[in-house]
Amino acid sequence: MSDWNAMSDEAFRAEARAFFESEFPAQYKFLARRMRWHECREWYLKLSRKGWIAPNWPREHGGMGLSPSKLLIYYEETERAGVGRMPDQGLTMVGPTLIRFGNDAQRRYFLPKIIAGEAIWCQGYSEPNAGSDLASLRTEAVPDGNDFVINGSKIWTSMAHDATHVYVLARTDRQAKKKQEGISFLLVDMKTPGITLRTIRNIAGHEEFCQVFFDNVRTPKENLVGELHKGWTIAKGLLGFERLNIGSPRRPLQAMEKLEALARARGLMADPAFVERLTQLQLDLADLGSLYRRYVDKVRRGEALGPDVSMLKVWSMDTYQRLSELLIEAAGEYGVIDGEVAFATANIDVLSPFYNSRPGTIYGGSNEIQRNILAKYVLNLPS
Amino acid sequence: MTTRNDTSHTALLAQSVGDFVQHGANLPRVRALLQTRAEFDRTQWQQLAEFGWLGVLVPESCGGLGLGLAEAAIVAEGLGRALTPEPYTAVAVLAARVLEYSAGTALRDELLTGLVAGERVPVVAWQEQADDFTGLQLATAATPFEGGFRVSGEKQFVIGAAGADGYIVTAQAAAGLQLLWVPRDAAGCSTRAVPLADGRSYGAITLRDVAVPGVHVLASGDAARGALDRALDHAAVVASAELVGVMKRTHEMSLDYMKTRVQFGKAIGSFQALQHRAVDLYIQQELADAVLHEAVVQLDADPDAVTRALAASRAKSRCAEAALAITRAAIQFHGAIGFTEDCDVGLYVKRAMTVAAWLGNGRAHRARYARLAAQPHQEAA
Repeated sequence: MSDWNAMSDEAFRAEARAFFESEFPAQYKFLARRMRWHECREWYLKLSRKGWIAPNWPREHGGMGLSPSKLLIYYEETERAGVGRMPDQGLTMVGPTLIRFGNDAQRRYFLPKIIAGEAIWCQGYSEPNAGSDLASLRTEAVPDGNDFVINGSKIWTSMAHDATHVYVLARTDRQAKKKQEGISFLLVDMKTPGITLRTIRNIAGHEEFCQVFFDNVRTPKENLVGELHKGWTIAKGLLGFERLNIGSPRRPLQAMEKLEALARARGLMADPAFVERLTQLQLDLADLGSLYRRYVDKVRRGEALGPDVSMLKVWSMDTYQRLSELLIEAAGEYGVIDGEVAFATANIDVLSPFYNSRPGTIYGGSNEIQRNILAKYVLNLPS
Repeated sequence: MTTRNDTSHTALLAQSVGDFVQHGANLPRVRALLQTRAEFDRTQWQQLAEFGWLGVLVPESCGGLGLGLAEAAIVAEGLGRALTPEPYTAVAVLAARVLEYSAGTALRDELLTGLVAGERVPVVAWQEQADDFTGLQLATAATPFEGGFRVSGEKQFVIGAAGADGYIVTAQAAAGLQLLWVPRDAAGCSTRAVPLADGRSYGAITLRDVAVPGVHVLASGDAARGALDRALDHAAVVASAELVGVMKRTHEMSLDYMKTRVQFGKAIGSFQALQHRAVDLYIQQELADAVLHEAVVQLDADPDAVTRALAASRAKSRCAEAALAITRAAIQFHGAIGFTEDCDVGLYVKRAMTVAAWLGNGRAHRARYARLAAQPHQEAA
C-alpha cells in the first residue's frame, strides 16, 4: 500500500480525481438520496480492494491514515465526482469507537468485516421518547447467562433496512442515581430473532430511516463495548467522532458543487448580488475547512475531542442549509421542480440538497442542543 | 527566517506579550485619545523596540529577529487585546516588509536598522482611493529630476502617520511604479490628521513637487509592485491578528458580565436566548482564529501571489466581520452600561471598526477573493 501522506497534495488530488471520476458508477453520480446497499455494494468493495474504503482510519487497522489536508482532499474529490453517500456508520462511527474503546477480540472480529463490507452498521440511539434528551432512553438490556436480553425500540435509525449490525445504547441499571448512569453500549447482529423493522418515509419521499423493535433480543456478553453501565461515556466519546464527521465540509461541499454548476449554467456570475452571496458561502465553507483541519489534527495526535467540537457541527450544517437555500433561489422557477432539471450545461437536482440538509440540524444532537453544550461546557455560562 | 520554527523562542515571545497585555494595557489613555489625540507615545514605542517586537520580521543583518508572521501575529494579537494605539502593524509589518523586499540600497538598511531600534518610524503611503487596498488607482506622478524624481499627488488613509518621521510613497513614473522615501518635513510635503472613531487618525498627505534624490528611490517597476503587494498581504494578515485580539478580549468581557449581572433573580448568562447568541459569536471567533493561523502558516511558506492573496483575503474578511459582530453584540450584552463612555466595551467596538476598515474591509476582500477564485488557479477549502 502506498504512503499517501508522502505524496504531494496535487499528486494525491490528481489520483483521487481520476479514480472517483472514472470508477464511480455513472448512474449513481449526484444521486438525490442516500445509496442503498445493493446499489453501492460493488463500489464499496472496489474501494476496499484499492485500500481506500477507510480514509480516516489508522493504517494498522486497514485504513489510509490520511493527514487532515489529504483527508479533506479525499472528501472534496468524492463530492466533485458526485460519489453518493453509502451506509457508512461502520466506517465513521463503529470503527473509530472500537479502535478507542473496544477490546482486541472485538477489533479483530469486527474491523476486518467493516473493511470487507461484510458488516454494515446502523445506530440504535434515539427512541420515540428520547430524542434531544437521549439519556432518558428506556430500551433495556438484562443479563441472562452468557447474554443480554434486550427489549424496547429505537427510532430514526438511518439505513437500518440495509444493516447487518446495530450498536445500541440500552439501560442496564434501573437503580442508577443519574439517568446518564446505568447505560451500556452493545453490539447486536440484526439477524437475531426478535428484531423487527418498519421503514419511515421522509418529506423527500425516501425511505432512509426506520424504527427498530427489540423483543427479547439476545446478544452475547462479549458484545459489550467498554465497561458495564458506562455506555454513556462511550456514547459521548463517539459523539465526538459523529460531530467531527457531520461537521466535516463534505456535505456542504456537495451543495456547493451544484450551486457553482448552476451559476455557470444560468450565467449568474454576471449578477453582483448573487456573486456577493456566493462568495460569502464559499468563504463560510473554506473557513469551515480550516476549523475542521484543526480537529482532525487533534485526533491524529491522539487527543480526545472536547465539547468544543460541537461548533463544527453547528457551522457545517448551518452552512449546508444556507447553501441549499441559495441553490433553490438561484434556480428561480426551476427551483421547485421535482427531480433533475436539464440546464444548458448540466443536469442538476436542485431540491435534493434542501431535503438532505434539513435533518442535519436535528440528528446527532440538534444544533440547539449543541449550543447548550457549548454554552455550558465551553463558555461556562450558568444554568 | 532561519529561526522561524524555534518553538522555545515563540513561547518566550508569547509569554512576554502576555505579560505586556496584563500590565501594559492603559485603557484610561485609550479612552482619553478622543480628547488628547496623542496616539503615538514615544516612550511606549521605545518600550516595544526594547522588547524586540519592532524587529520580529526584520532580517538579522539589520538588527532584527528574522522571525515570521507566526510571531508577528502573536505580538499583534496581544497589542489588539491591550488596545495599544501605536502603529505596530503599519510600521513593523507593512513598512518593514516593503523595505525588506526592496533590497539593494543603503537607505533601506538604514531605515530598517532605525525601525528596529524605534528611532526611525517609516509608514507606507500607497492608498489614494477607498476600497483600493492594493493601491492600483495611482494618480501620484513622479517625473525624472536630477537623477531622482519630483513627486506630486495626494495620499489618504495612512494609519500611523501621526508618529511617522517619513513616508514610503508610491508614485507612477514613465519607467513604472516607484517606491520613494519622503521625509515628513521634506519641502512640499504636508500631513493633515483626519480624526477616527477610536481616537487615532488617518494621515492625509499632500505632495507638491517634492524633490526625491536618487538615493531615496527604494524600488522601481516590477520589483516595487512585487514588494508592495507582498507587504500588503502580510500586513492584512497581521491586522487580522489584531482583530482576533480585540474580539477575544471583548467576548471575554461579555461572558464575564453575563455570569455576574443578575436580573429576574438569575445571572443573565443562564438565559438561553443570550447563551445561544454568545455561542454563535464564539463560533465566529474560533473560525477567525483557525483561518488566521492557516493564513500565517501559508504566508510564511511564501506561496505564489494568488495563493497568498486568497489566504490574506480569507483571513481579513472573516476576522473583520467576526470582530465587528462580537464587539457590537458586546454593547447589547452589557445593556445600557455598554453604551456609556465609562464602559470599556465602546473602546473595543471602535478599535474593531478602524482595524476592520484598514487594508480593505470584509466586503472589499470578498470582492478580491471572488475575482481571484474565479481564475483557473482556484484551490478549494
